[in-house]
Amino acid sequence: MAAWKKLDDMQVLSKDLPRVDAPDKVSGRAKYTHDVRLPGMLYAALLTSPHPAAKVISIDASAVQKLPGVRAVLTDAHPTGTVRFAGEYVAAVAATSPEIARDALDLFVVHYEERSFVVSTDAALQEGAPRVFADRENEQEARVREEGDVEAAFAAAHVVVEGAYRTQVQTHSPLETHGSVAQWDGDRLTVWDSTQAVHGVREGIAGMLEIPADKVRVICEHMGGGFGAKLQPGLYSVLAARLAKQAGAPVQLMLSRRDEHLSVGNRPDSIQQVRAGASADGKLIAFDAKTWGTSGISGGAGVSLPYVYAVPNWRTAHSDVLTNGGGGRAFRAPGRPQAAFSMEQVMDELAEKLGLDPLEFRLRNDPNETRQQQWALGAERFGWSARQPANSDTGPIKRGMGLGASIWFTGGRGTQVQMSVHGDGAVAVRCGTQDIGTGTRTYVAAIAAEELGLPVERITPLIGDSEYPYSGGSGGSTTVPSVAPAVKNAAEKTRAKLAERAVGLLGGGVDDVVFAAGRVRCNGQSIAFEELCAALGTEVLTVHGEWVEGLSGSGVAGCQFVEVEVDTYTGRIEVLRVLSVSDCGLILDRLTTRSQINGAIIQGVSYALFEERMMDAVTGTMVNAEFENYKIAGALETPDIDIVLFDQPERGVIGIGEPPTIPTSAAIANAVYNAIGVRMRQLPMTPDRVLNALQEV
Amino acid sequence: MMKEQSQGGGISRRSFLKGVGGGLVATGTIADELLGQEASAQVDGAHVFKGKQIMALSVNGQRRSVEVEPRTTLLSALRGPLDLTGAKEVCDRGQCGACTVLVDGAPMLACMLLAIDVRNRAITTVEGLDEDGALSAVQEAFVELDGLMCGFCTPGLVMAATALLGKNPNPTSQDIRRGLSGNLCRCGTYPNVFAAVQKAAETMRG
Amino acid sequence: MIDFEYVDATQLKTLPALLDARWGQTEILAGGTDLLDRLKERLDRPRRVVNIKGIEELHGIGKTRRGLTIGALTTIAELEHSEAVHAEYAVLAEAAASIATPQLRQMGTLGGNLCQRPRCWYFRGGQYPCLKKGGFKCYAVEGQNKYNAIMGGGPSYIVHPSDAAPALIALSARLEIYGPDGRREEPVESFFQLPYQNLMRENRLQPNEVIARIHVPRPASGTRSTYVKFREKQSLDFAISSVAVALQFDGDIVEHARLVLGGVAPIPWRVAAAEDALVGGRLSEDAIERAAAAAVADAVPLEHNGYKVALSKNLVRRALGSLAA
Repeated sequence: MAAWKKLDDMQVLSKDLPRVDAPDKVSGRAKYTHDVRLPGMLYAALLTSPHPAAKVISIDASAVQKLPGVRAVLTDAHPTGTVRFAGEYVAAVAATSPEIARDALDLFVVHYEERSFVVSTDAALQEGAPRVFADRENEQEARVREEGDVEAAFAAAHVVVEGAYRTQVQTHSPLETHGSVAQWDGDRLTVWDSTQAVHGVREGIAGMLEIPADKVRVICEHMGGGFGAKLQPGLYSVLAARLAKQAGAPVQLMLSRRDEHLSVGNRPDSIQQVRAGASADGKLIAFDAKTWGTSGISGGAGVSLPYVYAVPNWRTAHSDVLTNGGGGRAFRAPGRPQAAFSMEQVMDELAEKLGLDPLEFRLRNDPNETRQQQWALGAERFGWSARQPANSDTGPIKRGMGLGASIWFTGGRGTQVQMSVHGDGAVAVRCGTQDIGTGTRTYVAAIAAEELGLPVERITPLIGDSEYPYSGGSGGSTTVPSVAPAVKNAAEKTRAKLAERAVGLLGGGVDDVVFAAGRVRCNGQSIAFEELCAALGTEVLTVHGEWVEGLSGSGVAGCQFVEVEVDTYTGRIEVLRVLSVSDCGLILDRLTTRSQINGAIIQGVSYALFEERMMDAVTGTMVNAEFENYKIAGALETPDIDIVLFDQPERGVIGIGEPPTIPTSAAIANAVYNAIGVRMRQLPMTPDRVLNALQEV
Repeated sequence: MMKEQSQGGGISRRSFLKGVGGGLVATGTIADELLGQEASAQVDGAHVFKGKQIMALSVNGQRRSVEVEPRTTLLSALRGPLDLTGAKEVCDRGQCGACTVLVDGAPMLACMLLAIDVRNRAITTVEGLDEDGALSAVQEAFVELDGLMCGFCTPGLVMAATALLGKNPNPTSQDIRRGLSGNLCRCGTYPNVFAAVQKAAETMRG
Repeated sequence: MIDFEYVDATQLKTLPALLDARWGQTEILAGGTDLLDRLKERLDRPRRVVNIKGIEELHGIGKTRRGLTIGALTTIAELEHSEAVHAEYAVLAEAAASIATPQLRQMGTLGGNLCQRPRCWYFRGGQYPCLKKGGFKCYAVEGQNKYNAIMGGGPSYIVHPSDAAPALIALSARLEIYGPDGRREEPVESFFQLPYQNLMRENRLQPNEVIARIHVPRPASGTRSTYVKFREKQSLDFAISSVAVALQFDGDIVEHARLVLGGVAPIPWRVAAAEDALVGGRLSEDAIERAAAAAVADAVPLEHNGYKVALSKNLVRRALGSLAA
């Protein structure tokens, strides 16, 4: 079975390797979809519904057509004409400048028949609430899961706690909005798309346009963030393609910031009624949760309870709730931050009732052996033993410590890679994956460099194009376990073929050929890599690699410790420091791995304290669809972060993008309790909620 | 040449046509004097622009001629006709810093400036930071310490950091956080950015 | 933004003629950070935009023995970094440093900061025909109102977003306003007006007038001042509540007090009762408590902004406490 080198033998991998596309990104040379400029390219704008529920009766675009500079108009942008959230696309226009396209939106005359609507999860659950879909209840049938004898366990429990927890709708808010540039050449369509899945989008667009998939090419050289929201083909891509066809010119359609907040995904909210019981000897024995969540007009708002701790008797019942809001989408560890937020607080409450330290209670109930080591390591490094009893500080500003666990599951597979070596020594690796900011392009080059004994800059990684061999979408932290083995496989095969050539030139046996430091050694001789390649002449050595067993794994653990300061005068919570301990198997690039953990934690802080989609119940609209009042943590909200990479190279490569964002909000909530002695059961923990909670005490 | 252009508003050097009482003569195209063309309307001694204009912008040390309307933002002019797409359009409302450019050396938001308003000022975009093709010390430090992930906020952060170090070559950690507090990064790469700015400061101090 | 014509004004005396005597026809461009936001959202659709940055005499900070004269085009960054402001006008320097972001402070001007329109999302969002846009209702009353007014509201519940205004009022500053009839002066305090006085305008400036300069009298010796601002994020955010306070001491007795709240009312909210609680005595804990209680005594919160009462009270405590030290 395939195997990675030992860590000590690695020349390129598992070091601090700067990303290969960083020079382009720091200089403005990196071209994102938003930056694509084609000759004659038009700029599109979308007309969206101001109403959360309405039937489009008519659209009059005659004034739009007459506006100078307008080149294409679509009045059938909406597939059914029945709008179910404010922000749905109703019409589209392409013009010679973005300013004219925006002017054109004012000239559409749309007649809507407004309908009743409901935008909050609570309101949607009430009897007599307007139905989002006429043929369905808003409250979907509960999915019930159960193990053991829950009621008997509660009856036997020494301590029982219960609470109602709430988490908010969070929008992905990638800085580059969703969008596409579409260009036709006869019946062939090229789409530049800001996506996490060039292959999936290619298939999706072909399907929606009803053209053969091999007529569509999707390119995503660089993309400005997705976090799960850009895994699927977009209606905007199809509209761009239709506008481009109508105008006979390429069309760029990028969503506005407002459209981005409203129409292309979010993390669903949750309402969680949770009850848990523990035995006198500190074992979690009973758990029961009823949860609801809204994913707007779609489903998938589940909460992954009972989370990571071992509990023999448990029951969960979850109902998705339909509301007139934009549909939810996968968002960095779907379902887990919500679950961690309630479960980690429940664990702390049980520990307190049992008179146990929260860490000790977790050690007694955490079935994961890796995490058992991580808890101990983290507690020591963080200084957990200095934690005081709740509400110990006497001044208005109080400090507290808290902790929480993380977990992830998926591995990945299926990637294919083409590697080619040219007579001049050029080496290219082609793979239809994409770099969503995680460093994919860098490790594709680095793995090939490691195998061929070349410096990283000698490899040309070519990704982000559906014309390259298949790789799946970059979601679920699956990219590295899927891509890395395939690149290694291609590189190994390439090396084997080159070894045969080397033996032909130098004699000796293929097993004795060594590729190192840009040279090839065999039979007691050494030549430059280029010298070996020169023997190829005009032939391009082309090798196909694929995902193989044994190089990647799945399932990771982790834990976080945080210290906060709570200002009881203002309700402001400041996260002072976070310690993260995470494993992800063999770490290919330690620098970009730490970056991902930083980012996951900071997004977790942002989710905990700031971000919230705020809906106006009267108009059914989002009032903060911008970046002033949809608040995202910035430089002054960033805590000091200490990262411990828990190496387990023997497990192969595993993704790390998602797990470290899961426990941050939970650990902060526990730290806040430790600081002020008040439980914050609702996210985000904004100053108004903290002050209100303090006043209730 | 750039120095001359960055003097005040340049209005006094403009050749005016005669005013018509207190009223206004509006015409289609009024060109900037920098291209040697005459203004064709004025009111009360002031220069009136309406409709499409050909005017010159001083960008990265070059005088660039560009067609804009009075309402065209600097960001739109940069990213459109000038094809300088380093500055990014993210919020379009001055809330994120992704379009940060230097105007006469000061960090400003290109999305909240009219192009016509800065036609006599020296504009530096991220494309103008390198020296003879080599990355600046700030850019080098961002690369080395991974002060970026998806990279969409990066040009704005690089410009904000450049402006910060231009004013304060020896910043404290809090100076750096405060100096970058107008720039949003959604990937959460701030810790590496802070380290990169500190490192660039050391390099620049020599 | 709709298309508009653009004029560079270069002289104060010719400026009023460039401006229309009716609202909505012309808009003044200085820093542009508020105007462009409104233009982009199409809240304003002016025929003409007049850029006043070329009026040299409106730039810069002048210092005399009697006080400061600050040109309306002085940027927030210039204020923030001015030695003269730091030396004797702490409340103004601190307010300036708390505004927006580094980039916006480079762009925004003091005149613009005083004239900026409210941040209420129902006002800023083009889709809400709210009272202040000539519509029929204040959406904040039954909507999302966690940032709205707890004092002085009705029929609109906006809050005034300026940080500089409370500071200037605490310093008894006056505005020099220039219009078709020449100059007039007005205390900053009386410049602003409540929604019941004028629903459409937060201040008394006429459409063809401009703030030319801000005169700040030099504080008497023994004056201590500070600005305490609370916001959720430590940059970009506007004040949820803020306190500007200037106390003139004679020994340890408070002789004069000016205390102004920001972010809680449709105008900067000077609280005479809080000042009265301080004047004539030492800045004792008891006096501070009485002043803090008086500062919020008139608060009538909406559904989601009750926390601003306790918050504002605590900020007054904190601001006064810092001056007692």
